[in-house]
Amino acid sequence: MDLGTQRVQVVALKDGAVVGRAQGFSGFDPTKAAEQAVNEALTQANLKLSDVNHFAATGSAMDMAPYVNSTVSMMGADAKAGVFLAPKARTIIDVGAEEARAVKTDERGIMVDFVVNERCAAGAGAFIEAMARALEVKLEDMGSLALKAERASPINASCVIFGESDVVSLIHRQESKPEIARAVFDAMADRVSAMMHRLGINPEVVLVGGVAKDPGFVASLNRKLGLTVVIPKYPEYVGALGAALIAATRVKEAPK
Amino acid sequence: MAGELIGDLLRLTVLAGLGVAGIVAILIWKKNLAMRVTFLRLVIQAVAFAAIFYIFTYSAVIPMLYELIILFAITLFIGRFFCGWLCPFALIMDLESLLRRALKIRYRIIPDKLNIALHKSRYLILLVFLLLPAVLWLLDPQEILVSPLMAQLLAGHFRPYGILLDPMIPFIVPWTGPLNIGGVNLSYPYAQNIITFTGAELGQIFAIAFVAVTLIGGFFIRRAWCRFCPTGISLAAINQFKGLRGVPLVYVDKDEEKCTKCGVCKRVCPVQVNEVYEQKGGKIGTSQCMLCARCVEMCPYEDALKIRVGNKTVFRSRDWLQPPKVE
Amino acid sequence: MTKTVEKKFLPDVPKKEMDELRNTVKAASLKIIADNIERMKKADPHRPEAMKYFDDIANLFGQRQQEIQAEKEKGKKVIGYMCLFAPTELITAADAIPVRVNSGWYDTSKLGDRVVPVEVCPVIRSTIGAKMIELSPFLEQSDALISVLTCDGMTKLSEILGDTKAVWGMNIPRVKDSTQSLRFWNDEIKHMKTQIEQFTGNKINRKNLKEAIEISHRATKAFRRLQELRKGNPVIMGRDAMLVNQAYSWDDKKRWTEKTEALCAELEKRVERKDWVVSPDTPRVMVTGTPMFWPDNWKLPTLVEEGNPQGVIVADEQCSGERILNDPIGVDEWSMDDMLNAMSERYLMASTCPCFTSKDGNEDRINWLLNKVKEWKVQGVVYYVVRGCMLYAMEYTRVKKALDKINVPVYYLDTEYTREDVGQMKTRVEAFLEMLNARIDI
Repeated sequence: MDLGTQRVQVVALKDGAVVGRAQGFSGFDPTKAAEQAVNEALTQANLKLSDVNHFAATGSAMDMAPYVNSTVSMMGADAKAGVFLAPKARTIIDVGAEEARAVKTDERGIMVDFVVNERCAAGAGAFIEAMARALEVKLEDMGSLALKAERASPINASCVIFGESDVVSLIHRQESKPEIARAVFDAMADRVSAMMHRLGINPEVVLVGGVAKDPGFVASLNRKLGLTVVIPKYPEYVGALGAALIAATRVKEAPK
Repeated sequence: MAGELIGDLLRLTVLAGLGVAGIVAILIWKKNLAMRVTFLRLVIQAVAFAAIFYIFTYSAVIPMLYELIILFAITLFIGRFFCGWLCPFALIMDLESLLRRALKIRYRIIPDKLNIALHKSRYLILLVFLLLPAVLWLLDPQEILVSPLMAQLLAGHFRPYGILLDPMIPFIVPWTGPLNIGGVNLSYPYAQNIITFTGAELGQIFAIAFVAVTLIGGFFIRRAWCRFCPTGISLAAINQFKGLRGVPLVYVDKDEEKCTKCGVCKRVCPVQVNEVYEQKGGKIGTSQCMLCARCVEMCPYEDALKIRVGNKTVFRSRDWLQPPKVE
Repeated sequence: MTKTVEKKFLPDVPKKEMDELRNTVKAASLKIIADNIERMKKADPHRPEAMKYFDDIANLFGQRQQEIQAEKEKGKKVIGYMCLFAPTELITAADAIPVRVNSGWYDTSKLGDRVVPVEVCPVIRSTIGAKMIELSPFLEQSDALISVLTCDGMTKLSEILGDTKAVWGMNIPRVKDSTQSLRFWNDEIKHMKTQIEQFTGNKINRKNLKEAIEISHRATKAFRRLQELRKGNPVIMGRDAMLVNQAYSWDDKKRWTEKTEALCAELEKRVERKDWVVSPDTPRVMVTGTPMFWPDNWKLPTLVEEGNPQGVIVADEQCSGERILNDPIGVDEWSMDDMLNAMSERYLMASTCPCFTSKDGNEDRINWLLNKVKEWKVQGVVYYVVRGCMLYAMEYTRVKKALDKINVPVYYLDTEYTREDVGQMKTRVEAFLEMLNARIDI
């Protein structure tokens, strides 16, 4: 279970295979949202609550998660799941709603080092959301819009608020929407890649988290890093999957 | 004949005693028993003083040249250990320092540049002395005697070499000394040579001036003479050859990581050796160092400075605020 | 025509507002002190008996304040200082009381914003704020302040505090290993000596200075005994030891030494019984960076030692912690001159503050950190920086490279004088500890 600032994801794991996944908005009552998501995932997998051996929670609101047996840090979960999904992965970038982090891992999925973006949200999903609002486009369309751009306009990405005012001034200069959209992703990718450089880039690089679903950001990041990042099938579930994988090892270590 | 035999036996006894004292000292080190190395050193210096006094005054059996050779050989292998721990002239200066400390008078330091210049000037002095026999020979060709007798007396043109043994001439021996001050005959390092080379009348004045200068200098400046003593140079000269840098077996070793560069070692060094502070770590390779271990003793960080013999550590700096575990 | 512009930084806070603010902050602070101690007690259910004394002394508005007040009424002077480079032995020798006055109150840093911009280091802002509402007991009690102009913040802070008090600036050289620096600093120390003599009316002579230095020596000895204990399996929580170390900067030095020795004796018995405070395989963490001042700025040690997984702080490299007492004054001969020389060397050259540089940059600090990591068997380093502390922040890159080389993970944690980011910090600290745990398991 990954209880993040915006969404909650639940993954049910049985004998090393994913049998159910569900997500919901955390909203004001993350506990309730999590309960719902858990039920949904379990129904998918045809399981009952009592069948679950171990609940592991991760994410920024993990202390509020229900049913929990143990907690896992987000970085640890990312590393575990990243290596599970792409065995050659040594660097995992997780760009979530309000936080971006890069985790360096070894081949067993044990994290070796990590960096987290500074407290500002300008390296994270919330930034795109705010920019989409400023551009009056749907969040889902941002990526495809950006891909149409030939060049990017310069933009300040040190802060969401400043970024937004930058976008507004670009609009006033009548730059085209695709270009601005691309600028937004470039700025974000700049931040993320600066963070990566602080950590040191070890291929293969896996991009996870909700933002990984955005083709615009992926294209920008590939450009900035000069390599192709690997994106798993359900990037937003990676945190929950990592927690589940760690839960599985914990069950093995300590049988009831 | 019997007297000589007894004398030799006595001498050997003293030497043996000295050896035992040395071994005991090393044992004390190894067990980290010494509270203050400075006191230990004073004891060893006193023993050495007695032994050297004995050898020089009574023994005619060990020829002076051999003594010189032995001294140089020792220095080659254990560094200037002799200077720091055995030399009688150094004992005089250490006693002066003790007196000064008792009187609460502060020591003076000489500028670093002058200190280095004095240090370097020793090479010149040594060179002059080494070349002197040749010059003398050119002036007055004479058959060079390579015989035990010559060796014994450093006679003839080799006479100047004797000066290198001068620091070992014991201080104040009222019944034999060549130096006459106020009707008392004194012996003092270098005094006899000064008188010999400059003539009795003038020499007497020079010698007294020399005594005054070195005594006063030694009082205010720690180990004043050691800074340019030509005897202490053998290692200095040898150390200049790259291949021989590793020769001295006894040396000060510094651990870079444990050092915080607090500067204590630099300040307490009686001959103002800066290398122990400036060098980042490893073997402190300077011919100015007399291995007196004052820096190691005063270093407030455990194991940051060590005195090593070969690869074995014999004395290490330790937290001097903490009394040693075994008393 | 002469133009006179009054130098004044601090705004005039109306008495009523000031009292109100002071009372609120003080009440909050007392609560935090009690809370911190409570949590420390909880973390270690059978805390050493001797810690009780330090819990009492940790109350800044309690026992120690009254003691100093009593001494002051008897005519003793109190001299405050901000940086560790202030030669406290001179103050003790002149029969005055040295106290450190840096502020650790979060609330007052917001008040400081009225005088200086938010970009300024919060330690400075908080100290200004404390002065504005006359909160800090020790700052109010000090008759004069010694301010060592180490970083930019300290330099201007001394000007700002100069509004209300005599502040003596000490100009510290930034290049610490050159002879001219030492000469200069030595002159500063000598000047400070005459200044203290004039101010207190007591002559500093060989005898009382020697006594003062010996008091410091004994304190260092006790401190080292405690440090030695922390090298082995943990017998004391890091927070407890950090509090002990920090208490030295306001406590009576002789009594502190006694109590610390008592604490060590108790801990040594525990070592014999193998009575560890936490399991010996708990990750051993070292904290370095910006000073963490009691009482408010205690969040990082609390997070580390109450985290899940738990860590234990075995060493720190901070001027609010181990740097206070790490270096003794190495006096060679007990003459006035040599004592002063030894003092100036101890305060200038032995320090590993990042405000210094030398031929090889601040290499001493790197070496000292590496040494600490090895000696205290540190498994992970938290590099703690508050926003605005340029010197520590900029030195991070070099520290990180050095620690990477010996394969010790280091985590850079930046924060502010605020309680709001505790949740976020928690995630990061716990992830770091989890990583350390994983490394240990391998």
